[in-house]
Amino acid sequence: MEDTRKLLDWEALAIGESFPSFSYVLTQEMLDEYRKGVMDTEAAFPTIAHKVDVMAYNRAYRDAGSVNARCAFRCYNPPLAGKRITVHAWIADKYRRRGKTYIVTEAVSVDEDGRLLDRVITHELKQPGEVGKKWG
Amino acid sequence: MGVAVRAFNVGDTVPPLVKAMTQEAINAFEGSSGRTGPSQFTDEETARHTLGTRGTVASGRMSLSFALELLRRYFGADLFNRSGMVDVRFLRPVRPGDVVTFTGTVTRVAEEANGSRVIVEGAATNQRGETTAVGTGHCVVPRGLLPPEE
Repeated sequence: MEDTRKLLDWEALAIGESFPSFSYVLTQEMLDEYRKGVMDTEAAFPTIAHKVDVMAYNRAYRDAGSVNARCAFRCYNPPLAGKRITVHAWIADKYRRRGKTYIVTEAVSVDEDGRLLDRVITHELKQPGEVGKKWG
Repeated sequence: MGVAVRAFNVGDTVPPLVKAMTQEAINAFEGSSGRTGPSQFTDEETARHTLGTRGTVASGRMSLSFALELLRRYFGADLFNRSGMVDVRFLRPVRPGDVVTFTGTVTRVAEEANGSRVIVEGAATNQRGETTAVGTGHCVVPRGLLPPEE
């Protein structure tokens, strides 16, 4: 199937660009698997593993990959298994540091009852090969 | 479970949290959202191709989750899961086989209208003593859960 996503042009990327909202149902299996992954039986925010902010970006753009340089997460209400979660995501910022380009994505998740669940803000380095060059 | 009244003071240390990273844990984390394809986190060849690393690495969001756990245990789930925040910078890759210790110290207690915002600065260190991440977090503690002022 042809990839119809736009190729990222960092210079042209507009801060504030919003991505189409999307939704998914959080299942008990997702919650259990997330808790297994983080080795924490009381972990309350499996939404973290869904990487919803960059997921929205990746549905719109294709690029050479990225590395998570910084991530902020704000808790409002733990999501409940069985509920449909709707995600709103956008480009919050972009910047250049030491010759490398970064984009900042942000997303909020809300459940089907209108409960605000969380907000995530991610700074992604758009030259993923830098990781191997520096750390091997 | 109720939330106890307790004081928070600058200089208080947060009990450390230790995590032994395994590929199985990374796979569970990545698979929990339904992603099944190979990625730099789950497949060595993809990691070599995309990152240029010698093997897979853990997503920074796993360290983010551990930072949340560190502070949730400190403040209590009832409080932290409804008013907590963490902001983490990832400095070095975390790989399968690493043992990472998350620590924190209260650096500021700021009075707000209905309580106090307790701010913690923290770090994550691997078994070689290398810092893999640093960050801050906070939680708003309602006035009713703070000891009376003297």
